[in-house]
Amino acid sequence: MHSTLTAIALNTFRETIRDRILYAFVLFAFLVTLLGLVLGSISVGQDIRILEDLGLFIISTIGGIIAVFVGTSLVYKEIDKRTIYLIFTKPISRWQFVVGKFLGLALCILSITFLMGVFLLGIIALFTTSTHHFAAMIASIGFIYLELLFVIALATFFSTFATPLMSVLFTIGLWLIAHVGDSLLLFGKISTNKAITIFCQIIYYALPDLAQLTRLRGHIMAHQLISTESILYLSIYIVGYLVILLTLATFITEQREFQ
Amino acid sequence: MTNGVIEISALVKDHVSPFLQKRVRVLDGLTLTVQQGQTFGLLGPNGAGKTTTIKLSLGLLKPTAGEVKVLDCPAGSKTALSRIGFLPENPYFYSYLTGWEFLDFFGQLFNLSTNQRKERAKELLEMVSLTDAAHKPIHKFSKGMLQRLGIAQCLINEPDVLFLDEPNSGLDPIGRKDIRNILLKLKQAGKTIFLNSHLLPDVNELCDQIGVLHKGKLIAGGKVASICPSGNYKDLEQFFFDVISSCDKQSQPKISSSS
Repeated sequence: MHSTLTAIALNTFRETIRDRILYAFVLFAFLVTLLGLVLGSISVGQDIRILEDLGLFIISTIGGIIAVFVGTSLVYKEIDKRTIYLIFTKPISRWQFVVGKFLGLALCILSITFLMGVFLLGIIALFTTSTHHFAAMIASIGFIYLELLFVIALATFFSTFATPLMSVLFTIGLWLIAHVGDSLLLFGKISTNKAITIFCQIIYYALPDLAQLTRLRGHIMAHQLISTESILYLSIYIVGYLVILLTLATFITEQREFQ
Repeated sequence: MTNGVIEISALVKDHVSPFLQKRVRVLDGLTLTVQQGQTFGLLGPNGAGKTTTIKLSLGLLKPTAGEVKVLDCPAGSKTALSRIGFLPENPYFYSYLTGWEFLDFFGQLFNLSTNQRKERAKELLEMVSLTDAAHKPIHKFSKGMLQRLGIAQCLINEPDVLFLDEPNSGLDPIGRKDIRNILLKLKQAGKTIFLNSHLLPDVNELCDQIGVLHKGKLIAGGKVASICPSGNYKDLEQFFFDVISSCDKQSQPKISSSS
């Protein structure tokens, strides 16, 4: 069981990491991070702050683009190119396939996030050696990765039944809505229309409140103390959504026939 | 009488179009048995239901009615799949892998140890004459090489039963001869082979028993030795044409002489 899961995950990792477009994205991320040096130099005493903000933004954006575009074709490509026939005629469970695919892409995004993170930290090290800065940056990158895991799971879920184009639209749409979930809930509360209130509540509870992650990252970067409980709560909260999405993706794959 | 290795009884498969819910019967009460060590050739025109039969036998499709048992286990069960090898028609392989990595990956899906996988991959690449191309990316393989790699992949678990869907289609005469020789070796090794093919000379040379499928029904069958007593494939060709045309004549609507 363990060997099968590892095999599928590593195969997916190999597939994505050997795609040259990935390196173009990483190179682009490096260049934008370097642009932070220029922007920082023309600011008044905000050089590190600009570098940090721009660096984190690019890690999140590049990671997100890769997660969406690779994730949405993850299962679909196997069906379209009929490699799924070779996989599902081996003694493996459908959940191993879905989870293996997810883990493979998660590993790939982890490697890219690590590369971009190390580059950013290397540049920041030219300006400061404060351990507070580095600890805050590492924690922030960790939370960006947690959010990216949710995006990968969402993309994997859609790729089990929708075309890549539809999956991209659904994934990006829900990802953005998940960022404004709390505003939607507030909007629903002040609305006089009952249907809108219920609709906003459904959206809020169906999707994770990613704005919480953004707020937490803001607190970390402002060097505010964050309790272990809130970090743990947010991590479990996101992992819960991952489990739900992957369970649904497995259920859909189990019901499918391969014509 | 002993139980067959492949037992198909009263198998019915309807394809239902997703939007209009239009039902088309692809297989209509197919019953056949393949005994151990036998090479069975399923013949039939395009769209007769040959590939559907294989997919149902492997659990890629679910039957509308009837049953398929392979090695006394329900089709698609892990126990059956662990002893089956399958080569799909016009297979697509992971182009980013090398031949060696490809076999290693499928070895992992059968939970083979690293040493077992190494030995098995070496042995199989030698058998299909791909040792020199072992570390070449698959996208550089010719059609014949891909087909031979496909056969190697379906033998990684030393299966008892092989399902081969058009193993010789699209190959040049040399490629066809190579595949035929490999299949003859497997037949001599006592493997049970279920083969779909349009190429009657190959069927004549390889198969012990044939069945003719037309419009989802098994309309004829028998031992190749009795159909082609001279050993010439032209007899098989004539037999095939005769049964198809007589079936078509019977199913034609009768037109009264007065009209």
